[in-house]
Amino acid sequence: MSGGVSAYAAISSRVRAMYANLLTPQDVLQLSEASDFSSLFGLLKNTAYGPYLDSLKDKDIAPKRAIIQIKRKLAASYNSVIQMTPVETRPLVKELYRYFELGNLKAILRGLVTVSVGNSETTLWDRVREVLFPLGSDTVLPAQAMIESGSVTSAVDLLHGTPYEETLSFAMKRYSAEQNLFPLEVALDLSHWRRLWSQAGKLTGQDHQYGAKIIGSLLDMNNLMWAIRYRVYYKLSEEEIINYTLPFGYRVHDSDIRAIAAGADIAPIVMRIYPMIGDVNVMFEEPQAGLPKLEFQLKRQLMNQCLSAFVGSPFHIGIPLAFLVMSDLEVQDLTVLIEAKSSNMPDDEYRPFLLKPTLLN
Amino acid sequence: MFFPEAMNEVQLIVPSKDLLAVTNVLGSRGVFHQIDSTYLGVNSGPNTWQEKAARCSALERRIQGVLQILSLKEEYFESSGFDSEDLDMMRFAIESIEADVKATSDQWANEKKRLEQLESQLRQLEPIADINVEVGSFQNSRYLYSILGIIPASNISRLETSLSRVPHVLFTLKEDVHKPVVWILARRSNSDMIDRAVKSAYLNPLALPEKFEGTPAKVAESIRVEIESTKRKISDLDDALVKLANIHKSELYKLLWNVHVNRMMAEAIARFGQLRHTYVVVGWVPTSDLPSLTQRLKNVSKEILIEAMPMARAGHPSNVPVALHNPGLLRPFEMLVNTYARPRYEEIDPTVLIALTFPLLFGAMFGDVGHGLMLAAIGWLLSSKKIKALRGMASLGGLMTACGLFGAIFGFLFGSVFAFEDVLPENPFFKQFFWMKPLENIIETLGIAVGLGIALLSIGLLLNLYNAIRARDWARFFFDPNGLAGLILYWSLLGLIASIFIHGFPIPWPVFVILIVLGALASVALSEPLKRLVEGYRPLIEGGVGIYIVQTFFELLEKFISMFSNTMSFVRVGAFAVAHAGFCLAVFVFAGLASGGTNTGFGYWAMVVAGNIGVVLFEGFIVSIQTMRLHYYEFFSKFFTGGGLPYEPLALPGAQKN
Repeated sequence: MSGGVSAYAAISSRVRAMYANLLTPQDVLQLSEASDFSSLFGLLKNTAYGPYLDSLKDKDIAPKRAIIQIKRKLAASYNSVIQMTPVETRPLVKELYRYFELGNLKAILRGLVTVSVGNSETTLWDRVREVLFPLGSDTVLPAQAMIESGSVTSAVDLLHGTPYEETLSFAMKRYSAEQNLFPLEVALDLSHWRRLWSQAGKLTGQDHQYGAKIIGSLLDMNNLMWAIRYRVYYKLSEEEIINYTLPFGYRVHDSDIRAIAAGADIAPIVMRIYPMIGDVNVMFEEPQAGLPKLEFQLKRQLMNQCLSAFVGSPFHIGIPLAFLVMSDLEVQDLTVLIEAKSSNMPDDEYRPFLLKPTLLN
Repeated sequence: MFFPEAMNEVQLIVPSKDLLAVTNVLGSRGVFHQIDSTYLGVNSGPNTWQEKAARCSALERRIQGVLQILSLKEEYFESSGFDSEDLDMMRFAIESIEADVKATSDQWANEKKRLEQLESQLRQLEPIADINVEVGSFQNSRYLYSILGIIPASNISRLETSLSRVPHVLFTLKEDVHKPVVWILARRSNSDMIDRAVKSAYLNPLALPEKFEGTPAKVAESIRVEIESTKRKISDLDDALVKLANIHKSELYKLLWNVHVNRMMAEAIARFGQLRHTYVVVGWVPTSDLPSLTQRLKNVSKEILIEAMPMARAGHPSNVPVALHNPGLLRPFEMLVNTYARPRYEEIDPTVLIALTFPLLFGAMFGDVGHGLMLAAIGWLLSSKKIKALRGMASLGGLMTACGLFGAIFGFLFGSVFAFEDVLPENPFFKQFFWMKPLENIIETLGIAVGLGIALLSIGLLLNLYNAIRARDWARFFFDPNGLAGLILYWSLLGLIASIFIHGFPIPWPVFVILIVLGALASVALSEPLKRLVEGYRPLIEGGVGIYIVQTFFELLEKFISMFSNTMSFVRVGAFAVAHAGFCLAVFVFAGLASGGTNTGFGYWAMVVAGNIGVVLFEGFIVSIQTMRLHYYEFFSKFFTGGGLPYEPLALPGAQKN
């Protein structure tokens, strides 16, 4: 009885307690007032991220290290939620968590193709390790061995028996022919979202309703941005755009994707799906600057969907999922802040990309 | 055995020249739990030892790769002791072996790949084997464009969508969940669109070699011939690889050993603090191993400085690693304790206690000579590792054996053997061991179970007092809900009940009432302020007196309820003893029904056997959960905090301690 009070009583209370530990919009604004990275780091130590940042020794305090420590809190949240999630819905949360493993896999593959001649393996592993999401033992990727294998083909061979094996067995033919990671990454993305959507589809009752809403909204954002980017940036053909996107979602339907692929005007489609987003036409006048803004607006919509999950009956999977997505978005905000402060970026250049403070509007 | 091993914090100042020898001693003894002491060093730049460890790791993987190619097991043979060879020399040796093996292994891999390709082509031809058309004719058609290939099953519908504007026909020739075979036919003028679509749908076209001509059946025949020839080549190459394995085996194992040891040593040294001419090494060593380790260190380094500080149990030494040293027989119970939590350094290790109480409670609930011996036999079989498929459960074997034997002992006491409740009590010899039948003495059985619970809970509370004394935690000793005040409260409540219900009880009930009030005040109502007073924290009351009073009221209520429920929880021990007899009775009722009331014949005995097996499986499972529950929730919660740091000594392969 996954949608029952008994199944969700404990997790709902626990998640609400963890939710209270998330930063408020005011907290994020206060953090953005920090003069530089070290003062931001000091401020962050007074937040719920403090225990994770405390473990950094003074000599290790660097933006990348700080970001990894911040991600550790997200990993801890996932682990906590996964342990308490009812058995029926646990596979969905685990699959959602796998998104970070997918990110790690892409980072490893990118590391392997971008290695410059003359760099030792040690240096490459150290560099790649710094950008990996700290999954600890919750991963099937033999990351170091993959990097040390020295090539994409050998690294992929090490994924035997993992959920990525089958997908990559098809995509590797194209990689061998084209020597480009694009087909591998697209295949991995599509496979991940198919699995995730399939898990959401297996739920029943309120779990299904909220699972489809939150996972579907995440999927919408990615699917729509893929279709737009494939057309605007990569100039792909209609057939390719269709094959590189997915036919399902919460608000974005296959007909929308097919229309974009077929060359229809994109702005009206986006405005019809998301009437609350204004100035879409302006975004497409200069796509290079406009598309990141559109993606930001889509994330904002996602955040609103997540917040709506906390209203009403608390005994469903929506609350844990919404909390995890909100936590991820918070980590994204903090990553923007840390990178901005460490590179002394002017406030007006990064503040428009902070999600949390938009809740004050 | 009753406590974690006494530990010493050891600090070594090692001259650079003796670094390897000292690390070798630390690693080969297998008793030194290392602590990262890089922060004590002055060198904040890149650590060359880390780099060396990474290089060793890469070399180790290469050796493992060669071992795998040569079908040799990955094993560590300490043939020549530690040999700090130059890594470049070792790399050269590995490269030399790799080069020797490479030609044959590459050829082997190519032939294997070819075999897989041919077999795959053969499999893919199966769905179209009946088509009496030359496959090549589609490929070379002037007007028709055809692609035959394998595609991820999930991409088929998307591929069709993407081709919706292009006239085409798509056949799924082979319905396979993972690798379906599809065949697309379209006008040749649309070939570019078809190509884009199939490529982006990750369709892998079947690469049928041009040399195979004819109908699919003929092509399949040609491929079969080719497969046989490839298999012969692979077999020859296998023989060649076995010869190569014999040639390089000993050198590979020597290299593996050296690289592995070098890596472990480098990883250990990378965590030492590096000063200008010396290294600072910090860690923990069990007191019993300290003299021999010190002696060996001094043997290899005359100038080494060793400072050892015995660690007292007092003062919550949470950073001290905890080494448990129980005899092998108690290991399954140690596992049970560790599943709950690892004892802290200052705490009692409850393994010995649980080795007695766990089988005791289990046996009381599972009292049957036959069932107990069956369980013990299964346990012995598991721990003997005779059944390969069950080797993973070997650690459970000892536990099951002990529980089974106690079940058998209680079986004699309850007069039950394989559900027969009358055989033992009527036998002149076994009669002397017979105590009582739980089903016929229900109240007495439940009462004894509660008595057992009171004894266990009291032991738990006393152990908590002892732990508090060892830790010199006086606030916990006096005012903890499970401390002295808690114990007085618990015993006073029991005394009050006894004085009310037992006529002529020597102590009058008002005495217990006074003690209950005092105990409740000290262990609950004033526990927090008194603890703060003893520990010197202020304010004594947090959040205002009003909230404090309300909170205290509910805590008191909770305390009384939990004491009652903790004690009554043990009723289940008696209840299961009774239930066991009930189950046995049910077995014979069903057996009687199966025999049509004759109580004999195949049906009767088949039901008796099946019923006994059912009782063992069902009750064994339930009773083990209940026993674990009683220990984890009722017993351990009284005195066992847990959370100790595991003792993980630096140990090179074949270290002496292990």
